[in-house]
Order: sequence, then C-alpha cells, then structure tokens
Amino acid sequence: MKRFRSMTYPYIAWIIAIIVAPMLLIVLYAFTTSGNSVLTFQFTFENFARFVTDKVFMDVLLRSLYIALITTLICVALGYPIAYVIAQRGGRSNTILILLITMPTWVNMLVRTYAWMGILQDEGIFNTILSWFGIGPVSMIHTSFAVILGMVYNFIPFMILQIHTSLAKMDKSLLEAANDLGATPVQAFLRVTLPLSLPGVISGITLVFLPAVSSFFIPKLLGGGQYVLVGNIIETQFLTTGDWNFGSAISLIMAVIIMISMWLTRKADIQVASQGKE
Amino acid sequence: MKKKTSVGSKIILTLTMLFFYLPILYIIIFSFNDSRSLTKFGGFSLRWYEKMFADSTMMEAVLYTVIIAVIATVVATVVGTITAIGLSKSRKVVQKMVERINDLPVMNPDIVTAISLLMFFSVLTVKKGFGTLLIAHIMFCIPYVMLSVTPKLRSLDPNLIDAAMDLGATPFQALTKVIVPQIKPGIVSGALIAFTMSFDDFVISYFTTGNGVNNISILVYTMSKRVNPSINALSTIVILLITLVLGVVNIVPIVREKREKDGKASRAVSRKAMAAVAAVLVLAVVGGTVGASLSQQHKSAAAVEKYGSNVLKLYLPGEYLGENVISDFEKQYGVRVIVENFDSNEMMYTKLMAGDRYDVIIPSDYMIERLMNEDFLQPLDKSMIPNMENMSDAVLGMSYDPDNTYSIPYFWGSVGLVYNHENVDPAVIESEGWEVLRNTDYAGHIYIYDSERDSFMMAFKALGYSMNTEDPNEINDAYEWLLQMNNTMSPVYVTDEVIDGMMNGYKDIAVVYSGDATVILDENEDMSFYMPNQGTNIWCDAMVIPKNAENPKLANEFINYMLTYEAAFDNTETVGYTSPNAEVFEEMTSSEDLYAENAAYLPRSGYEADEMFHDNQVLMRELSKLWIKVKAAK
Repeated sequence: MKRFRSMTYPYIAWIIAIIVAPMLLIVLYAFTTSGNSVLTFQFTFENFARFVTDKVFMDVLLRSLYIALITTLICVALGYPIAYVIAQRGGRSNTILILLITMPTWVNMLVRTYAWMGILQDEGIFNTILSWFGIGPVSMIHTSFAVILGMVYNFIPFMILQIHTSLAKMDKSLLEAANDLGATPVQAFLRVTLPLSLPGVISGITLVFLPAVSSFFIPKLLGGGQYVLVGNIIETQFLTTGDWNFGSAISLIMAVIIMISMWLTRKADIQVASQGKE
Repeated sequence: MKKKTSVGSKIILTLTMLFFYLPILYIIIFSFNDSRSLTKFGGFSLRWYEKMFADSTMMEAVLYTVIIAVIATVVATVVGTITAIGLSKSRKVVQKMVERINDLPVMNPDIVTAISLLMFFSVLTVKKGFGTLLIAHIMFCIPYVMLSVTPKLRSLDPNLIDAAMDLGATPFQALTKVIVPQIKPGIVSGALIAFTMSFDDFVISYFTTGNGVNNISILVYTMSKRVNPSINALSTIVILLITLVLGVVNIVPIVREKREKDGKASRAVSRKAMAAVAAVLVLAVVGGTVGASLSQQHKSAAAVEKYGSNVLKLYLPGEYLGENVISDFEKQYGVRVIVENFDSNEMMYTKLMAGDRYDVIIPSDYMIERLMNEDFLQPLDKSMIPNMENMSDAVLGMSYDPDNTYSIPYFWGSVGLVYNHENVDPAVIESEGWEVLRNTDYAGHIYIYDSERDSFMMAFKALGYSMNTEDPNEINDAYEWLLQMNNTMSPVYVTDEVIDGMMNGYKDIAVVYSGDATVILDENEDMSFYMPNQGTNIWCDAMVIPKNAENPKLANEFINYMLTYEAAFDNTETVGYTSPNAEVFEEMTSSEDLYAENAAYLPRSGYEADEMFHDNQVLMRELSKLWIKVKAAK
C-alpha cells in the first residue's frame, strides 16, 4: 500500500505551495492593520472585532448561509430525480444527456444571468405568457425568487453530475438481490440505492453549498442589490473600498463557519453510510 | 411498470432541458438583436457579429480560453485522479488534511483566491501571463476532480487491489485495469466540472494573467460595462463550436454504427479519431483567425530605435476607446499596443501594487491624487506632448494636479439624474433635485448607483454638505437620508446594468454617470438628463505614466497622440463621454448629428456647488460600512 501512498506526495507539495502559502498571505492581512508596508506589520484583532460586534455583518452572513442552504436543498430535491432518470438510460444517450446538462455552463455566467434578467422582466417571456391568460404582470426580477432561481440554474448541473456519477455503474445485482429477498421497489431504493448514492449527494452538496455562500454576481444582478450577501461585502472590500485587511478577515470568518457546517454534513454522511453497511 | 417510468422520465427530461436551454435560446435570439439592449428585442440584425469578427482580440480570447481549459482539464484530471487513489490508501489524518485544503479554493470567494495568488506571484516576482494563468487554473480545477472521484473510490471494495495483485497484477496494472475502469464515471464528471470552471472563470484569471493574455470571461466582463451585445454573439459562437465538436464526436459514430454494424474495436478508434479531427478543426479555424490578425500588426525596427521598444502597455477602464484609435496609432508609429481593462480604480490599484508594469494608465481624479501621494507616478515629458495646446481650459489644472505635471485629462463628466419625462414632470425633478429620490410618488421606480462613493455624494449634496466632509454629524445625517430612501422607496441598486434598464425604460429615475447617460439618451428619446442644483460630482479621468513604466518615451508619444483631433473625436464619438479636446468638444456640442441635443454630454464647469472627490481612505472605509448597513436595512 505504501506505493499508492507515495502517489499523493507531489500533490501535497503542490497544495502547500499554491494553496496554503498564498492563503497565509490572506491570514496575514486579516491580522494586521491597513496601510502598513511589507516590512512593518502591526498585528491586530480589530478586523475581526469590527465584523463580530456589528450586528449588520452577522445578519448578512446568516442570510448568505440561509440562501445557500435553500439553493442546496432545491438542487438536491430537483437534481436527484433528474440524475436518477439519466442514470437509468444506458449507453450513448446517457453520455449525450450528461453533455447536454453540462453544455449551458460553458456559456459565461454573466451572459446567462443577463438572459435571466431579460426573461424575468415585467415584459419578459414568463409575463407575456401569463398575460395571455389575463394574469400579471407578476414581478419576478429583483425578488428572492429570482435570486434562488438564478443560483439553482447556475449550480444544479454540478449536483446532477455528482449524483449521476454515484448512480452510474452501480452494481445492479444488489437490486436484484433485494428484489429476490422480497423487497418492494421503494424499499429497494431506500435501503440499497439511496445509501449507495449518498457519497455522491454529499460531494454534490459540497460543490453547490460552498460556492453558493460566497456567490456574488447572481444576487447582485437578479436581486437588484437589495440582497446584500457576504460574497458581495468581501468583493466590495477588495475592489471598491480597497480594505484588504477587513475583506480578508471576513473571508476567514466565513471559511471557519463553512468548515464547521461541512464537517457536520460529512459526519452525518459517515454515520448514515456505516448504518447502511450494517 | 417499465413503460410508466419511461413516460415519467421523459417528462422530467423534457422539463429539465427546457429549463437549461431557455436562457441559451434567449442568448442566441438576442445575438441577432438590432437594438443595443440585452433584454428587449428591436429587429433582426447581424451587426454584433460584424463587430465581433472585426475585433481580433475576441478570437484571440477564444483561442486562449480553449487552450487553457483543455490543458488545465487534462492535467487536473490526471493529477486529481492519481492523488485521490493514493489518498484512499493513506492515513485518515492525511486524507482529512488534503480534503480541507482542497475545500479552500472551492469555498473562498474568487476574489480571495485571486488576491492570494496575485500577492503570491508578486512576492516571488513571477512575471504574469500565460504560465501563471495556467497554474491558477490547474490549482482550482484539481479539487473539483478529486471531489468527483473520491466518492466513487469510497464505494469501491477495498480488497479489489489486493485481489488483483494476488492474481499477479503489478500495482500499475491493478490501477489501470481494475480501479480506473471502476471509477470512470467519477473521472468523467470531474473532468467536465473542471473544464466548466476553467472556461467560466473571470476573477481569478483577471488577477493572475498579464501581458495581454485574455480569456472570454475577462472580455465579456469588460464588454458588459457598457452593454455591448457582442457578448451574445460571442456566446452563440462558443455554443456553436461546442455543439459542432460534441456533435461530430457523438452523432457520427451512431450513424456509422447503424450503417456498418462493425466490430467494437474499430468503432472506438473511429470515435477517438473523430474527436481529434474535430478539435484540430476548431483550433485551426480560431488559430487561423488569430494568426491573420497578428500578421497584420505593424511592428517596426524604427520604433525600437526611437523609443527603445515597440510595445506599449495601456491599462484603462473597459469600453473606453474609439474604434480605430489603437490600430491607427499602431500603424502610424509601427508599434504594438497591449490593452488591458479594469472595472474600478481600486482594481487597477491592486494590480499596480502587485508590481504589474504598464506604460500608460487612465485612472480617475482621486486615484491620481493617491498615486501621486504614494509616489507611483513619473512626471510627463511635456516637450513630447505639444498637443496639450488642443485642450479645453476647463479641464486643465484640476485641483489634484494643478500644473498637469503628472496627468493629462482623457474624459471628464458629471453624475446626474436620468428620468423618463413621460412619467416624471421635469418641473418636479428641477425643483427637488436629489430629493426626488425620496419622493414616495416614485417609490418602486428608481435605480440607485450601488457604490458608497456615489450614494453618499448625492446624500451630502441633497443636505447641502461637501461630499468630502469628515464631520461625523454630517456623515450621520447623510446616513439617515440614505436609510430613509432605502426604507421608503424600494430602490433597485445597480451598477452597469443601469444602462440597459434605462434604455428600456424599466424604471423612471436613475442616478447615472454622464457618459452612460449620453448612451441612454441616444437610444431612448423619452429619457432626459438633469444635474441637480444642489451640486454634483465633477470627475475627470486622466492619462498618467507610472514610475515603473517600461517604455516611458512611447508612453509620452501615445498621450500626445490621444490629444490629436482624430483620436479625441473617435474616442468621444464611440464612448459618449465628454472630450477634453477643445475643437472636438466644440464640434460635438454644435452639430445635431453628434451630441448637441444630448444634455448629458455637456458637464457644468465653474459651478460652485460641484466638487471633485479627494483621496480619503479612512472616510471611504467608514462610508462603505454605513452603505452596507443601508442596503441590508430591509
């Protein structure tokens, strides 16, 4: 087994150089006062204190977590059946469907979001169709509905891909065995398929939840700026206000909170998985 | 039983595809839009395609994007898979550690990853360009691959490798013959996600690239600055290229299969061959276009002799150049100009501070003040800029640089209100000025510019204060003013989208920069522009040469060229901001075909209540915090 372990050494060296070392610079910024040059650091906790003591920032962080959570839940709820249906189809149509799901993500996110802005306008497609039935206009743009829709649209392909991966090439004989042992299809799904696909769901959650917390352009464009989220604040600190120290501190606080929530999710996964095995 | 599920699954798949492809369809339709709007259709036209193909930087960006995405995906997939397999046999501690670190680039906002890499490369004094961009992309792609491969490995029987090796397989054989086939779906989806991430990345790319290497995203973001529908045309071309490649790879073998019903081996080979042929075709087309445009460049040895180099690096806001200015300059002087764009002055400052070198930069007044204070700029060589005599008196000797030692104005303007005179009585706007933004008759019908700088400016002015005030009471008054506006008017906060919104008349009143207002008034004749009597922000963007410029001689020559009648005319006509060139300004404001009828083109000068921003970072930090509080209040 030692031989296999050594396959990880190059990557460990790489992440220390390219991820950890640069991140240390951000940590350094978070703990120092602004305006000092590289040679004279002044350490401080003020950047963190500013965030924690002001209620508004905590509110924003909580709202970001909440929106990301809703997005993730919707992505699981919609993504699972879609992935399941695709996985049921064998061979080439399976490949083509997966490509069809991925392809829209190769169009720039900003362009796609602008398209949604047009679609959701009071004079957009949805409202035009509604007006044929004498309904509307229902205001959709600049609502939380629009923000969640945009987020789900942007992130759900990753969820589908992850769940699909865990469902594809699943050992079919397990299902047959369950069937032979008298399990109904629903029981077979709940006891066999679902537990086996959980690792995929968890990594799908990682891929949706983590970037959704800090997403920036979608809430800005579709929410009309009223939905101030933490990604928005961090972006502003770096690009408008020019306060890197505060921006770094916020992103560290966010990182810690997300780490904790992901740790809980993965712990739950391990428990469920071990129950499944028993 | 079987039938039933297939009907259900067909419905699910149809709805899914509708959801996924509605925006895509929308983009394709709007790429043929005759009007400039991104959200309202105004007739069929191919003008955005013409514009796109005329612009060689776009095709170049497509080429870079594809090359980077392909290399990053291949490297990330191979390395990610190998590491994930190795990790599954490693100790738990190591596993956990690598997983946590991998989460960082996935979780951090792009800007944090971007800044950390920017500073990292800067500490190592690495020259930014294709190489650094590729490293960054590989960095953030690998975690996605590993996230896809790991769950597949976990559901694998741990004894599989042992069994294979007991049966005489070498570790390498066990890997390639046993494990990889088992986890292939994970590898494929990891590769797909990695490709997507690389293809779509803007922020990290922006801060890790340099030397004129752009990708599609960087271009799209700069173009969206002034609502340029070429982004739809560009996206449509990308969709077309991808469909072509995937179509050839996937459809052709199916057809052939039906026709020949050949053996398995030859089919697999032909499919791979098809993929290769398709990829080569696409690269050849794009590469050919870029090659053709590169060969047109006019580099000359004479320029090297005269200026020491024949390359000029220009760094300016997006969509800020006349259509032919750069190519004319290149032809005339036998040099090559590398253009890079920024979105905000602070973005520019960040790159400058990280040691990136440019020859000419075009920042705004307060930022020039800061750069002067921090000793970032070098004095201009006035003997090389005789065209300074073409300038309007109104723009010379601005307070931040009274003798124009360091800067020469490029564009100038104001901030004002754009309003729909069909729905809003001009008399109301004129009597209330900024206060109209708190007039509840218009609640739900206003756009506010989303920046602490501009929002506090209008609040200070509405209250009769200076916009550079540091008085805590005055700041608090302004905060209350904005808070009331936020709570009673249900405003929509926008930045560049305001142009599209007002062009289509989605709202009745908006706070707009004068040059953007010029464009809006040009497209929608129901719109008018007004500068409130309470005073406003008069700003000026000017050309400066940084201390570390590699080619200051050519930089001075370029500044001089931008002051010629031809260049200034082209700039202002294309962009819509007010020209500092006296003759051009005269012509623009007297000819009805140009901007004579356009109230937004003409800034006020010498009006007492108008001011310029001064550099004050402490104040900005305070205002930024208050502005977040205002927006988060409801």
